Amino acid sequence: MDFGVGLFSLQNTAMLPAHWAGAYRDMREYATLMEGLGYDELWLSEHHFFYDGYCPALLPAAASVLSVTKRLRVGTGMLLLPMQDPQRLAAVARDLGRRSGGRLDLGVGLGYRDIEFDGHGVSRKQRLPRMLRGLEILEAAEENGGPPIWMGAQLIDPVKRAGLRGHPILFSAALPFERCKTLVKVWEEGWVEGGRSLASKPALGALRNIWLTEDVKEREAARDWVRASYVQYAGLGWTLPAVGEHEQADFAEETDKAIADTVETTITGSAEECIRQLREFEAIGIHHIAFRLMLDGAPRVALESQIRRLAEGVMPKLRDRVTA
Amino acid sequence: MRLGLVLAEGEEADLARLAETHGLFGVLAGSGNPLTAINAAIYASTATEFVRVVTRVRLGLEHPVTIAEELSILDNVNNGRTIVLADAGELDAEPAADEVAVLREALSSRPIQHEGPAWKVPAGLPANAAAPSSISVTPKPAQLEVPFWLTGAAAPEVGRSSGLPVLAREPAHLGHPRLVEPGLAAISGNLKADRDLVAAWAAAGVTHLFIELPAGADLDLTMTMVSRHLAPEVLMPHFPRVMSESRVPLPWPGETNK
Repeated sequence: MDFGVGLFSLQNTAMLPAHWAGAYRDMREYATLMEGLGYDELWLSEHHFFYDGYCPALLPAAASVLSVTKRLRVGTGMLLLPMQDPQRLAAVARDLGRRSGGRLDLGVGLGYRDIEFDGHGVSRKQRLPRMLRGLEILEAAEENGGPPIWMGAQLIDPVKRAGLRGHPILFSAALPFERCKTLVKVWEEGWVEGGRSLASKPALGALRNIWLTEDVKEREAARDWVRASYVQYAGLGWTLPAVGEHEQADFAEETDKAIADTVETTITGSAEECIRQLREFEAIGIHHIAFRLMLDGAPRVALESQIRRLAEGVMPKLRDRVTA
Repeated sequence: MRLGLVLAEGEEADLARLAETHGLFGVLAGSGNPLTAINAAIYASTATEFVRVVTRVRLGLEHPVTIAEELSILDNVNNGRTIVLADAGELDAEPAADEVAVLREALSSRPIQHEGPAWKVPAGLPANAAAPSSISVTPKPAQLEVPFWLTGAAAPEVGRSSGLPVLAREPAHLGHPRLVEPGLAAISGNLKADRDLVAAWAAAGVTHLFIELPAGADLDLTMTMVSRHLAPEVLMPHFPRVMSESRVPLPWPGETNK
């Protein structure tokens, strides 16, 4: 399995004020630490026009990490493709891939906030056609040496579309395991409908809320940082719609319930317990795990400690399994 | 007058580090390919601590709010060292001026509500019913006001209407009594000729001159010439050359001077 940390969104929030320039410096330092500990990936996240400066431009942020590392991959999780000119984006991403020795992963998603579309002069009604046109351009670029494309989606149609087009998905940390399992099947259907064999499918990815600890107080704090990190999605008005038997999580209208349910996705406990739960993801074809550690409220000393602990206590055993 | 360095494409980090080591005030990224200038500027920024990073941004290729967001990230990565060189490219003066206005408003600390000849921000499109009538581009830049310079065919006209500095390519193009008057010139590597060149620019009133190094130049030798002979020459009137022509002090035993 491959391991990463995310989502870096570079915020200065009401709950945890920070200087933006410091957040960008800290990210470079986390990246250097991660690289030294053997992590494979760092994932970034995008929103626009939010008070906390949620990172609105992922390629410059990715460039800042790639410029100070040698091996670590950097993924956009997700860059909101309909809001960009795809020709320019393809050229900038290709340049960044070239500068970094091919270490950029270009994850793209649709976006959902009216204000973000309007601020970029794009009608929300046009988001799907713009996404599809953008994908065509990025796919042509990928065939000519551009960065690999990833997709972000949590509903049946877009997940199937990703499979059909042959792009791996990075699932949200808010998706419980059973929902990930359902969507992996949907993605595989798309992959096969695209005329491919399951034997040749790429590894998929998932963000996971996780905190390796056997200390009760630390576990309580970590779960509260996860809670706080989802409060911002209530502010952003995010909703995770229902899929089949899996319920909707409406962060805007049923804030407390949605947040409480999402906190329950958090993997906590001993190294053995974390490994056991991550093996369940491995078993359904998810071989990229991005630990969702950049939590609102978590102090740097705790984050660095957790990054080290997971690298030492969890990653080697799961890597051994693949090697074996 | 102060000297800066034009960064060759693909070598931005190494050259920016070299420019900083030699005490130049700034570097210019994206002169070869303005499409990827912000990548270049980021690489120059993370390799340095002090130099100002001038980023050439071609107008007319992307929504200006997207460009403003990218510039704001750059300014936070380098902690307020960004200068924008807006290249009008193919645009006429009116759309170029409008795009520069959107960029500057978006990078200010106020919300933006702009309606000009080329751009309306926010767009107010019917399908985006939940969008408000103004937006705030975040994060804000690290510095209070990001400096904007202009280049390209429409730059002189945009400069006249906006009051922004225009990057001069010839000393004769200067002549506006602004506190900042940037220029760009290629040096030859010949000390006598290059002294005359920078002196001519200084006499014409340039305040910040970016120099292009000659192709294939020995970087250490040429940059030593720049920092030891050209930069002091234009930092004060009537520079006494005895200081730049005197022997360099001995290094600490076992080490070498830069």
